[in-house]
Amino acid sequence: MKRIVYFTFFIFFTLSLFQLKTTFAADGQVVIGVPTSLTFLEGKESIKAVELAVEEINAKGGVKVGGKNLPMKVESIDIRDAAPGVPVPEALLGMEKLILEKKPTALVVGPFRSEALMAGMDMLTKYKIPLLGTIAMSPASEAKVEQDPKYKYVFRTCLNSKYLVGYITGVMKFLHQEFQYKKVLIMIQDVAWARATADAVSKIAAKMGWEVLGLETFPVGAGDFAPALMKAKTLNAEVILPIFDMPQSGTLVKQWRSMQVPALLAGFISPLTGPGAWKTFNGKIGGVLNCVFELGDLPSAKYTPAKTFYEAYKAKFGVEIEAGHGPAPSYVSVYLLKEAIERAGSLDPDAIVAALAKAEVDTTMGHLKFSPGHQVIYGNDPSKEALGCFFQWTEDGKRVIVYPESVAEAKIQLPTWMKKNK
Amino acid sequence: MITMTIVYGFINSAILVVAALGFNITFGISGVANFAHGALYIAAGFLTYLCLTELHFPYWIAAPAAVIITGALAAVIYRVVLLRVRGLVVSEVIATFAIGLAILELFRFLGFVGFEFTLPVFVDASVPLGNTLVDAQRLLVVASGIVLTVFLWLFTHYTKTGLAFRGIAQDERTALTLGINADRVAALSMAFGGAYAAVAALVILPLGTIAVNEGYDVMINSLAVCIMGGLGSTGGLIAASFLIGYGQIITATYLGTHWTMIVSLVAILIILIVKPSGLFGHQKELEERT
Repeated sequence: MKRIVYFTFFIFFTLSLFQLKTTFAADGQVVIGVPTSLTFLEGKESIKAVELAVEEINAKGGVKVGGKNLPMKVESIDIRDAAPGVPVPEALLGMEKLILEKKPTALVVGPFRSEALMAGMDMLTKYKIPLLGTIAMSPASEAKVEQDPKYKYVFRTCLNSKYLVGYITGVMKFLHQEFQYKKVLIMIQDVAWARATADAVSKIAAKMGWEVLGLETFPVGAGDFAPALMKAKTLNAEVILPIFDMPQSGTLVKQWRSMQVPALLAGFISPLTGPGAWKTFNGKIGGVLNCVFELGDLPSAKYTPAKTFYEAYKAKFGVEIEAGHGPAPSYVSVYLLKEAIERAGSLDPDAIVAALAKAEVDTTMGHLKFSPGHQVIYGNDPSKEALGCFFQWTEDGKRVIVYPESVAEAKIQLPTWMKKNK
Repeated sequence: MITMTIVYGFINSAILVVAALGFNITFGISGVANFAHGALYIAAGFLTYLCLTELHFPYWIAAPAAVIITGALAAVIYRVVLLRVRGLVVSEVIATFAIGLAILELFRFLGFVGFEFTLPVFVDASVPLGNTLVDAQRLLVVASGIVLTVFLWLFTHYTKTGLAFRGIAQDERTALTLGINADRVAALSMAFGGAYAAVAALVILPLGTIAVNEGYDVMINSLAVCIMGGLGSTGGLIAASFLIGYGQIITATYLGTHWTMIVSLVAILIILIVKPSGLFGHQKELEERT
């Protein structure tokens, strides 16, 4: 019996030492927690962008807190919320584990799915941990922040779906002016964010005088788009607006080209964003217009900071950024956090949050400031707001920004088989 | 629109035939419903991808290697796992389903998630069929369906092993009395089914990307056409593929693309209610009650 008591005491003592070690480890440095889906492209590249920013900051002496320079350190955990079938509570358990064990000063990147972000907001309030989200896009979290000050710890630096709708309708307006197009067929992946985006785009497009010919919804994993493309051809669609983030959606473009559908493909197809798409899809993606959610995930000849970040990432990791969503705001978030801590002069979360809310700075993504709901404001001019953009794949495999005009590098070119409807 | 529906309906049906042939062969011969069929299909895709990109093999080595390895893997599954539960139908289903799940989720765990996993097309061109343009790879799938079906017929009618396959399929006990090793033939049938799954992957996957979830879709579609056609019946499989294939395209064209996913499931339900043995099935036909 004595042995059991001694053994139990020994176990508790050892565990206490570990706990103590973890607490000490958090002292003397600024720990940045990254709880996200680390096996997904956006997650993999976002954490790399965080590491790049931390390395740069540490090389320059770290973060100045009350007269002392502290180094930054990254601690991450794979919460797997983007994987199919992973329940939200399981993802949140991962986030809580990171908070309790690594004692981060703040979190960046965060959940992929807005459901997980929304459910995790109470946890962030409970532990008073600021989060600068760079993936989840639902504006619902902003409404919560505005309605109840207890949710003030949640910030978002990436594009939200409201701004995405703005960019899509903006490019549609541009296409109407340029080519007098007014017939659009919308094709989407059957997931909440795509449905909500398509719904909002349909309403705005109709008000803008566009004829929405239909909404084609594809289950996740669908790999044959021929019936919908046949419909686009038969209904004389001038623009096909795709909204997809599943890997199979690149097939849509292959089929669009092989069937020579005479409609411009302009929207968001996640697999077509990065430079690797050209090789992946055998160079069969020329002519497609695709959205990049944040400048910096794509270099811009007209906005140097975006190019600087893109090149720095390439130099450090030896590969270019493939994701069109996540890395740039993740990089920016670390710098925002550094500046907020320095202005607050302490690691007190409430002071950091107050400093973050007042942040106004030029970044990789453009000029950055937060709305009352703690969402970075996006627009069309990088000297005034943060920026997303549309680029076009050229026939020789280059990505050229075509919208908005402030950063446009070329005019939109119609695919060879399309005639200009003028 | 009608021409396009006819052309793409035909191609879609051919894709179903090619994807399901391996599942049908294994069941028809050994009686094992190989629920790891979709996983073998995806495994073959990833194997080819790895041979091409990591080992830098030329395609003419990578593709046959993937077919042989997948076939061997299927035979190993039989020898190591299924042999012990042979004849216990529920155990066979549970075992193959679990193995399939393990293979697919292992790929996901190892990070085989993303759009970069693709296989090259054989011919990169579009071919006009009437007023419809079709990419050559889809026509190749149709050609593969014909070649694989004809090869299967010739193999099972004119080779010793093929005749042994049919012997076991018709009556295992009688075949045993004639000196046919039932376990060896069953393992071979698993290998054959696995190899067919690999060939299907080589011709179908270049149309899109290699995605873990597609393993589940292939399994569901294969099951649907085999149940509808009658488990083990190649003629039934082809007929059912055309019914479901055209059903899916017509549904997508005239009702909406999001309804296509339920076509296979509705087909399974209807056939199980109306004719549980399937359109051309002989399995348990005598036991059916009206």
